[in-house]
Amino acid sequence: MKDIIAFWGYPHPDIIKRAKEEYKNVQFLDLDVDFGANKVSILPENYCTIIKNIYNNAYFYKDRIIKILAPIGKDKCDSALFAAEILKDEGFIVETSIFEEKNFKKEIAPISTSSIPLKTKVELITKNIIEQKNYDNLDYVKPKAGFWGVPPNDLSILEIFPNETHIFGWMRCVEQMAPYDIELEKFVDKNIKTVFFAQTFCAKNQLAKYLSQKYGGLYVDIDGISNSSTKAKIEAYLRLG
Amino acid sequence: MEKYFLDAGTTWSKILTVKDGKKAYSIIRTKDLSNYDVEFEISTGHTLSKVKTKKTENEVIALSFGAKEIKNGVILDLGSRDAKWVKFENGKFKDMDWNTNCASSTGATVEMLLKFYEINSDDLIPTNEKYNVTCGIFGLEKIMDDISNGIDSKIAISKFITGIANNAYNFTKKPDKIYLSGGFCENSRFTDALKFYTKVELLGRFVLVDGLYNIYSENLFKGRFDKKIKVTGPDYLHDPSGEELIIEEID
Repeated sequence: MKDIIAFWGYPHPDIIKRAKEEYKNVQFLDLDVDFGANKVSILPENYCTIIKNIYNNAYFYKDRIIKILAPIGKDKCDSALFAAEILKDEGFIVETSIFEEKNFKKEIAPISTSSIPLKTKVELITKNIIEQKNYDNLDYVKPKAGFWGVPPNDLSILEIFPNETHIFGWMRCVEQMAPYDIELEKFVDKNIKTVFFAQTFCAKNQLAKYLSQKYGGLYVDIDGISNSSTKAKIEAYLRLG
Repeated sequence: MEKYFLDAGTTWSKILTVKDGKKAYSIIRTKDLSNYDVEFEISTGHTLSKVKTKKTENEVIALSFGAKEIKNGVILDLGSRDAKWVKFENGKFKDMDWNTNCASSTGATVEMLLKFYEINSDDLIPTNEKYNVTCGIFGLEKIMDDISNGIDSKIAISKFITGIANNAYNFTKKPDKIYLSGGFCENSRFTDALKFYTKVELLGRFVLVDGLYNIYSENLFKGRFDKKIKVTGPDYLHDPSGEELIIEEID
């Protein structure tokens, strides 16, 4: 039985709306996330774990996926463009979108600046791509730290951060419904210690490293699951900074 | 009453014993640590699974507190498994890094090379020539190539060590001076090589255990951040169930 609309990144709000209207009682599956699906051998071994997740999940749920909503613009990455082509070639129904305009942009980011735990912030932002709930009632918290980047494959690294951590980078762009807003993506609070994270082999490492040097933050790239030393490094930076 | 503090490295464990305010240091092989039947006050390091300890502390935090007298400068701890450094300016934290991914360009590799080629560290022939050992595996390949082409193994390993020194200098962002902590303090071939690039002051192998003692004696142990808010609701991403977010403040 096909009961899943799969997606990655931030599909254009218009195609999400159409999918919700057309398909009732289906699940929306975020292919970016590591659910422990079996590995498929399509990509080179040394490749972005998030793109690997897309393939692993797509094949694991193949019999249940109605179609895949696939961002292919600057709001995601070149790898997603190629993934959309390959998955089409492999028999999936793929509806591509480009969400580069700023017509939907919100001026505030209540989840990113709230006092709820960082891992929950990331989960809420990601879930809200589909749900579009209003979180304006969340209280602003004065930040003790910053986290810049994308949702990491290994969400456990987020548990190291204090609750008073503000989110920056692509996740902030997603919350503000502007997944390609390079100025917003570069924005950080210069007065707080910030960890600049990118997934190993992702082009965003370029920006993460540059911004970390510009603002005196900590640059971290992680491939797949974080080791204990990487977690200890983040912990030390947050405590010493 | 004796108090014990432990820095359990991958190969060697450094122990500080404090009795009546007097400090005594010792080093044992980490594989023998399970025979060391004491309870440590605070421990740090990679190898703590079989150790009785009241508290564990982050290695960079231990390094920072161990070198707290250094108000300005870069303190580098280079051991058998990894390298980490912290920089202070006017007594305040400024920068840090920790090479967490590759252990192949550190002390364990040098020890293996010396054993493999049956060479004593003191017999190495100093050279400012170096291999590019950003990856230690590629470095090993170059050693083998050179030796098979007739280069003396005492020079080849020396070039490898100079490569490690060059890495350490670049990794710490090329400071004017490095305060060196860890096992490499006792490898004069390495410290001489590091002096090709920058000034070096040796702090010895017990900086981290001194840091643990400072944390203990000044009651500065903090541990992880406290979580004061409990959130229930979206604990998974793929099934938007419409569950409401509940945020509770807890003691």
